[in-house]
Amino acid sequence: MMQIVLNNNLLELLPERALWWPDRRLLMIADVHLGKDQVFRRHGIAIPGSVLHSELEALSRMVGRYRPEQLLVLGDWVHAPPSADDDWPETVRRWRTVHGQLSIDLVLGNHDRRLDAWLSQWRMGRIDHALELDGLQLIHAVDAEQAEIKPGVSGHWHPCVHLRSGRESLRMPAFALRDQHLILPSFGRFTGGMDGLEQYGWQLLAVAGQRIAAINPP
Amino acid sequence: MLDFQRQAWSAFAQGQSGLIHAPTGSGKTLAAWGGAVNQLVDVTPRTGLNVLWITPLRALAADTSRALNRPLAALGKPDMVAMRTGDTSAYRRKKLIEQPPPALVTTPESLSLMLSYADAPSRMKSIQAVFVDEWHELLGSKRGVLLQLALARLRSLNPVLQVWGLSATVGNLEEACAALMPVGHTGTCIQGRTDRPLEIETLLPESLQRFPLAGRMGLTQLPSVTQRIEQAESTLVFTNTRNQAENWYGAIQSVSAEPERIALHHGSIDRALRDHAEQGLADGSLKCVVATSSLDLGVDFSPVDQVIQIGSPKGIARLIQRAGRSGHRPGASARLICVPTHALEVLELAAVRARIEQRRVESREPIRLALDVLSQHLVTVAMGGGFEADTMIDEVRSCPAFHELSRHQWQWTLDFITRGGPALQAYPNFHKVVESNGRMRVSNRRIAMLHRLNIGTISADGALQVKFVKGGSLGQVEERFITRLRPGDRFIFAGRSLELVRVRDMTAYVKKSSSKKATVPSWAGGRMPLSTLLADGMLNLFNAYADNQLPAGAEIQHVLPLLEQQQRQSGLPGTGRLLIEQLTSRDGAHLFLYPFAGRLAHEGLAALIAWRLAQLAPVTFSITVNDYGMELLSARPLQLGVEQWRQVLSVEHLERDIRRSLDAANMAKYHFRDIARVAGMVQRGFPGKNKPMRHLQASSGLIFDVLKEHDPDHLLLEQAQREVLEGQLEFQRIHAALDRATGQAIVLKQTDRLTPLAFPLWADRLRSQLSSEDWQARVDRMLGSLEQRVGSE
Repeated sequence: MMQIVLNNNLLELLPERALWWPDRRLLMIADVHLGKDQVFRRHGIAIPGSVLHSELEALSRMVGRYRPEQLLVLGDWVHAPPSADDDWPETVRRWRTVHGQLSIDLVLGNHDRRLDAWLSQWRMGRIDHALELDGLQLIHAVDAEQAEIKPGVSGHWHPCVHLRSGRESLRMPAFALRDQHLILPSFGRFTGGMDGLEQYGWQLLAVAGQRIAAINPP
Repeated sequence: MLDFQRQAWSAFAQGQSGLIHAPTGSGKTLAAWGGAVNQLVDVTPRTGLNVLWITPLRALAADTSRALNRPLAALGKPDMVAMRTGDTSAYRRKKLIEQPPPALVTTPESLSLMLSYADAPSRMKSIQAVFVDEWHELLGSKRGVLLQLALARLRSLNPVLQVWGLSATVGNLEEACAALMPVGHTGTCIQGRTDRPLEIETLLPESLQRFPLAGRMGLTQLPSVTQRIEQAESTLVFTNTRNQAENWYGAIQSVSAEPERIALHHGSIDRALRDHAEQGLADGSLKCVVATSSLDLGVDFSPVDQVIQIGSPKGIARLIQRAGRSGHRPGASARLICVPTHALEVLELAAVRARIEQRRVESREPIRLALDVLSQHLVTVAMGGGFEADTMIDEVRSCPAFHELSRHQWQWTLDFITRGGPALQAYPNFHKVVESNGRMRVSNRRIAMLHRLNIGTISADGALQVKFVKGGSLGQVEERFITRLRPGDRFIFAGRSLELVRVRDMTAYVKKSSSKKATVPSWAGGRMPLSTLLADGMLNLFNAYADNQLPAGAEIQHVLPLLEQQQRQSGLPGTGRLLIEQLTSRDGAHLFLYPFAGRLAHEGLAALIAWRLAQLAPVTFSITVNDYGMELLSARPLQLGVEQWRQVLSVEHLERDIRRSLDAANMAKYHFRDIARVAGMVQRGFPGKNKPMRHLQASSGLIFDVLKEHDPDHLLLEQAQREVLEGQLEFQRIHAALDRATGQAIVLKQTDRLTPLAFPLWADRLRSQLSSEDWQARVDRMLGSLEQRVGSE
């Protein structure tokens, strides 16, 4: 765990690839990409179906541990609109009933298309563009290459750190921090990542097991 | 007409199958084709496609089909041979299906694609004969496995199918022949002419002192190389790596009087530029082409009168093949000039000479049980008319590559393509291949489309197109190289200095750069190890030196002072002696071992030895390997006697210890990318075409992790492990080296300075550590003192 302050708000970076806002009991994640395994299978690429279950279990574990009042998903909750014969949305609905007390909202990401019917099934609030809270803009994506960025939190880029030393090479998901703005790593395990945000001035905070480690100087 | 040609024609006329082996340019093509020509001319009226000619490179297809048409045209039957490759337009391909030519030149991948069309069985059962050109090139690769499966398919459609392979000489001819036949058939082996004269000359520097011991590009030999190029009409210069090719091309061009008549040819350069080089060689307008293995194969360039090989030949067969690219004028002999880049390569060349006299060449080991290729092929057949599982297993097992396929492996592969994984694993809504009325088929058009895109990716590495921002394509470069660059970085490619602008849609956009400071991409290829046959040949020369029985020859004369110094300072290795040197310097304690097992095996061996030594007492090493041996550097010296060394070099628990000593899991993960691509688990991005598939992008590393977590018994993961062990680490050679060590005398030598054998290893380690200037300066200084000693003592 690592604490940072964004625009006077104390936030905790969690090794679960999530952000915890203790004052508001608010948990933030981004880029879960539920159903991605199903998209692959539909195209003849055999990815095991248990990928979905392990994502939901990881979410449950985290909710059990931090007991948030609200879960805010900063976009790309799903990978693609569910097809009529997909059964994973039903699995998600069953998962939702287990966490009935929790309020869940989704800031729509570029993958969250044609989802309205399911959002009501999943009892998730829909935020079309961004949510403003205590001077922080909570949004799906910012232009990471741009110089000016508003204080806030976002996702979309799936930041990663790629370390090389001799023949060894290690890739880890990371938080990216610059000018009071934090980009979250992707929560979904079955998602790729992007190296190289540091060249646009972002400081990378790598998720290394149970530790968060600052990789490059600010 | 030659005897072996007559023999081949008559064997063909009798309906036999087999293999014709002869060196490049000795009339192999005519020997094989003659039989088919008779058949094609005689049989009228004809229906459908009768003869297939498989070529390993699509670049060869055009020239080959011209060459095959010639004898037919002379008999009044023009235009009977057409070609079909990945470059053939969709319109033309459709035409080829609607009005099939009597004979077709194609590649293994293109043949596989033809098998994927629904009406393939009815269209392809008319095929009577298949010729496989340059079979030795395909034999040891997965493309060879794909071809074996395709041949089995054609044989099922036409049980009297004749298959003839054409091969350069390999050490395991019988196995090479059998690999093209169904299991249980041996085929007819026809031996062609072998006595095409081969003149090998080694370009020796004036003295050993002028000679870099290791590492550099050998550019010190540039003046004598350019002199040779000037003297000849046309020259083909071969290098081992693309990096070396770029460097030599630049160097030769900079001193040439006619730089526009020098060209570069390697696998990453754009087709058009390569065509220009090939065309220039064929019509004599180019004076010199610098090439890598990209020109190892191909139609012969008759005007080329000499071949220059830069650096280690690595293997006998390869050297003969390269030499064979010259001197195709009647009566001319093949001329090869070897340019060693360091002193020990001179000894390699002496070993080459001895092996050629003994008529020994390397074997090519066929690949077995490649389940990734099998699953790709099964999907192909499911599209091409479908199959019944019970008969298909027999067809697959009729291929030598799958003769030992177990029930379990078969069932797993079927499950993999029909339900995603074994029955106990959940892969919901996976319908790649579905069973209907007892037949396995692909019904989903989108899946079929993706599969077709995936056929043919066996050989291709993840490659990016290199293009100018303003338009104009330069070629392809490996993804691994480009991903290390940032926009603004400069690199040398296709002989030009370029600046990376951006990478988008599988394309690296570049602009010209005037800067001279640029990196040359180091491609993964070209790091092939010294062959066992050649390495043993070197050990034999060490033996001969010890017994005072060295053969005469300029190379031997040249390196004699070096051998004497090695002997005086330490000792020489040999087939019966394993030499281990210990040296303490300000860098630390050095251990040098010289098993002569080739670079790849040494990597595994070094890791194993380091791991086992660390079990005796905690110690960490930095490791450097080359084709001759390895260096293990530690902070404090280790005192080990012969008996302890015997334990460290024991064959016992070898596989277990190798797995423990190397990060085998991580290596397998890296290797998995090739397997995942062949098995259709990653969709390759296509230049300009990848956008609609963006939602299917996942790296093979990610898929590896997911499978490992969710389906740990996945047989493709196991295959990745096995291929890493056998292919990347050359487990068999490691085993053989240790096996040999048990019978060898272990010679422990304490030295007070670097020996000639140790120096290249030491220099290599430095190079990987220090910046280039430091390295160069330091090596030069060290080299100076070493050479003084060689000269003065």
